[in-house]
Amino acid sequence: MSEQKISVTASPAVPAAAPRHRDPLALVVRFQSLIGLVVVAIGGIIFSPRRHGQILFLDPDNIANIVRAVSETGIIAIGMTFVIITAGIDLSVGAVLGLSSVVTASMMISGGFGLIPTILAVLIMGVVFGAIQGTISTRFRLEPFIVTLAGLQAARGLALVVSGNQYINISYGDGPGLAPPVFAILGERLFNNTVPVATIVFIVFAAIATIVLNTTRFGRYVFAVGGNERAARISGVPVSMVKISVYAITGFASALAGIVHAGQFNFGSANDGMGYELTAIAAVVIGGTSLFGGAGSMVGTVAGTIMLGALANILQLNNITPAMQLLATAAIIVLAAVLQSLVRRREGLGR
Amino acid sequence: MKTTRQGTRRTLHALLLAGAGLCIAGSAQAADPMVKACAKDGQFVIGFSQANNAEPYRQHVNDELTAAAKAVPGFALQIADGAGNVNTQTSQVDNFITQKVDLLLISPFEAAPLTPAVKRAMDAGIPVIELDRKTVGDPGKDYTAFIGGDNYKIALEAGKYTAKTLLPDGGEAAVLEGLPSSTPAVERLNGFKDGVKENAKIQVVAEQAADWVPDKAQTAFAAMLQAHPDIKVLYASNDMMAAGALLAAKGAGKQVKIIGTDGLPGPAGGIEAVAKGDWAATFTYPTGAKEAIEMSKKILLDCATSVEPTVTVETTAITAENAKQLMGK
Repeated sequence: MSEQKISVTASPAVPAAAPRHRDPLALVVRFQSLIGLVVVAIGGIIFSPRRHGQILFLDPDNIANIVRAVSETGIIAIGMTFVIITAGIDLSVGAVLGLSSVVTASMMISGGFGLIPTILAVLIMGVVFGAIQGTISTRFRLEPFIVTLAGLQAARGLALVVSGNQYINISYGDGPGLAPPVFAILGERLFNNTVPVATIVFIVFAAIATIVLNTTRFGRYVFAVGGNERAARISGVPVSMVKISVYAITGFASALAGIVHAGQFNFGSANDGMGYELTAIAAVVIGGTSLFGGAGSMVGTVAGTIMLGALANILQLNNITPAMQLLATAAIIVLAAVLQSLVRRREGLGR
Repeated sequence: MKTTRQGTRRTLHALLLAGAGLCIAGSAQAADPMVKACAKDGQFVIGFSQANNAEPYRQHVNDELTAAAKAVPGFALQIADGAGNVNTQTSQVDNFITQKVDLLLISPFEAAPLTPAVKRAMDAGIPVIELDRKTVGDPGKDYTAFIGGDNYKIALEAGKYTAKTLLPDGGEAAVLEGLPSSTPAVERLNGFKDGVKENAKIQVVAEQAADWVPDKAQTAFAAMLQAHPDIKVLYASNDMMAAGALLAAKGAGKQVKIIGTDGLPGPAGGIEAVAKGDWAATFTYPTGAKEAIEMSKKILLDCATSVEPTVTVETTAITAENAKQLMGK
């Protein structure tokens, strides 16, 4: 057991998730969300309503609906994956999305700022907000759960202050009090009106995050910190820097999602993004990332996100009540967690 | 011989029919039915995109709509719950469009964010009736019709009732607001404050947001009573918050005249609270469900060529005088 820990951290290039026992169960867990996505897709095709012999679930418009609807929580879940691999958690993400949507709207509408300065300012704000949370958490040895819970309240409060307790509508045009029309592209589809722009942002961000997590030294550090913090520290990993960085990344992701939200819905409100933190955590866990840290996969998170969206979609197409949707999601989360814990036990990691 | 005669007759028939058809087409520019597939005995699917089932008032809307739709043999109603999230609600409207429902009813959680989705439905040839809340644009043009109450006017009535009947000699009043920065919260707050202005001797000494929920209302109103022990009237922006406020008033041992909003039926609803004498009044916020299904019948069954673009359902003041007789309704 101790041997194993050392081997994990001595060669952080090998993520702890890599099955070295050729345990079939471990393989299942590694790809559980992809398997889940395939299962949901097959279920979707089987149970899809049909019109003139056409399977509605596979209708290009329907696929576009699914991937558009999950793009905001997906962007957040990607940031959350970094945090959860370090065995942390960030509850402030939904509130930061709301704050970012409000700041985006008010900078362009009442502040008269252009598109590029607005986007840069909001992204920097997200990074700073996350970095502050990470710093407080590492400096004072506080549970990230508590720190980001406070961050959630702070972000909602700031959003109400910025917006003066009012929602802000974004109108487009040229002149004071109007946003540049190009911003509305976030609510549209490209490539002959097929692929939602919000989804493109999500997928591009996911690709970059996958490369960072799987091929860079920083990515290895993230796994090392989550796998065994003490061992990582001893072997020279800048633990504090890594921890602060992952919260900054999550802040960036939430701000990006807030910008996408404002552009999709021409709107900024302090109430937006409520509950997104839980949807994102669910997607990450279903994606096979362990809440104990040290193991996880970005591709899994993306598949988990899309799976939850596809599930909601097929249930609605069949007119199944929201209650069933919640229960189905609950069952999937429990199943994912149970699978993970079985593998951990087999690998002798306890818990 | 016979055959040729029949043939000529057929040709004549065809010509006559074609002519009639042309005439109809010519005069139909202004009188096409709104939905081509409309039929007296047709089977129709109506999709209802609800803003948030978690609010008791919206559950009440769902119940009334379900009951009204059940009474129409050809109607199947599907309800989707947006769960207070504009993104979820948008995707549900898109799903209804994918399903090609025959008519869309919607209570948008917020106006601007749901506007593009409503436009997509209209572009797909699906009539859209907006219930209780509007999207951006004009009824009759950007969407088929709006049916609902007027939040501002309802709260204005409550304010005037306070000015004239509850506090004619003036005094202190307080307001519990809904979820800050949500449209109905802002409209109801402003309406009440404008209404009490009719009596210069009334001061609104405290306003607190309690997010529509009773527990937050109880806490907020308890604090208000600590700070302003002379509050005589409390305007709660919905029945749930009025119920919470009543607990706070009882806890503080104060007689406060409480006004609710929504006038929900049933046990623990506002109508009963007024009948029992717990509150001074509540102002109903009619669901418009019956009107919405009536309008759907006109469009889908009666092949209407046009409908009234705006139907405002009036509020009823529920006071000690009429609460008991309205209980059973």
